[in-house]
Amino acid sequence: MAHDWQPDFEQLVDEHQSMVFSLAWRMTGDRGLAEEIAQDVFLELDRYLARIESPQHACFWLRRVTMSRSSDALRRRRVRRVDLWVEMEDRHAIQAEERTSPLGARLEQLLATLPEAQRAALVLRYQEDMTPEEIAATLAAPLATVKSHLQRGLKLLRAKATDHLREYVRVKEQASGV
Amino acid sequence: MEDFERELHQALERRPAPPSLKRKLMEKRRARQPRGPVVLWRRLAASLALAAVLGGAVEWRHQQEERRQGEAARQQVLTALRITGHALNQMNAQLAAHSRTQE
Repeated sequence: MAHDWQPDFEQLVDEHQSMVFSLAWRMTGDRGLAEEIAQDVFLELDRYLARIESPQHACFWLRRVTMSRSSDALRRRRVRRVDLWVEMEDRHAIQAEERTSPLGARLEQLLATLPEAQRAALVLRYQEDMTPEEIAATLAAPLATVKSHLQRGLKLLRAKATDHLREYVRVKEQASGV
Repeated sequence: MEDFERELHQALERRPAPPSLKRKLMEKRRARQPRGPVVLWRRLAASLALAAVLGGAVEWRHQQEERRQGEAARQQVLTALRITGHALNQMNAQLAAHSRTQE
């Protein structure tokens, strides 16, 4: 079917750079690496541009390729035996200072400690407001698997956040001498 | 959506991309794009000029070699002529001496 929409590369970059960068950053926990991934993703989009049929297709394609590239980057790191989780916690700790809500900042830190598949599902669900069906299509995973990752990831994150909150209250009480 | 999920939703707002991202991206894209006809002509002209310079150098070296070989041949001829002249002079002197003794 013919389509009237003509993709404009620069406009697509303007519209989606924040999304691509944020997804890559939250998946890898590394700002520099996220920037590299975002550049690679957009350069690949440039090569693929003639086959992009609509703005929705562009958005779907960008999300899918960004998640895939981020997974590749994480795999390469594991091969290099980098202690990613410690590194990610350190990096998120730096970002935490920029945030206004301490709980929000801590949630982002805790998210970085989740298994990759659960983190991917949660990032797409809560950063991109995607439904489980859309997430399944983006990650090319069965819907049941995505739902399971969402439930388990949320449960694990809530448990970690509760522990953190308890610890926070305990430290506060000790500090105030209660 | 419960409070925890709302908090998570707020925590995971999109972050602005670094300003350098688009600039670097557009630079890489420009560097990758195929060259225009002007650039192709310039490349062709540069290649032809280089070929001409290399061809000239090869020809010059060839001529130098020929000149060197010619000079060597000339020296050999001159040496041969000198030896022949010397031998003829000697023979002439011997003939002259022989004629004098007969007289």
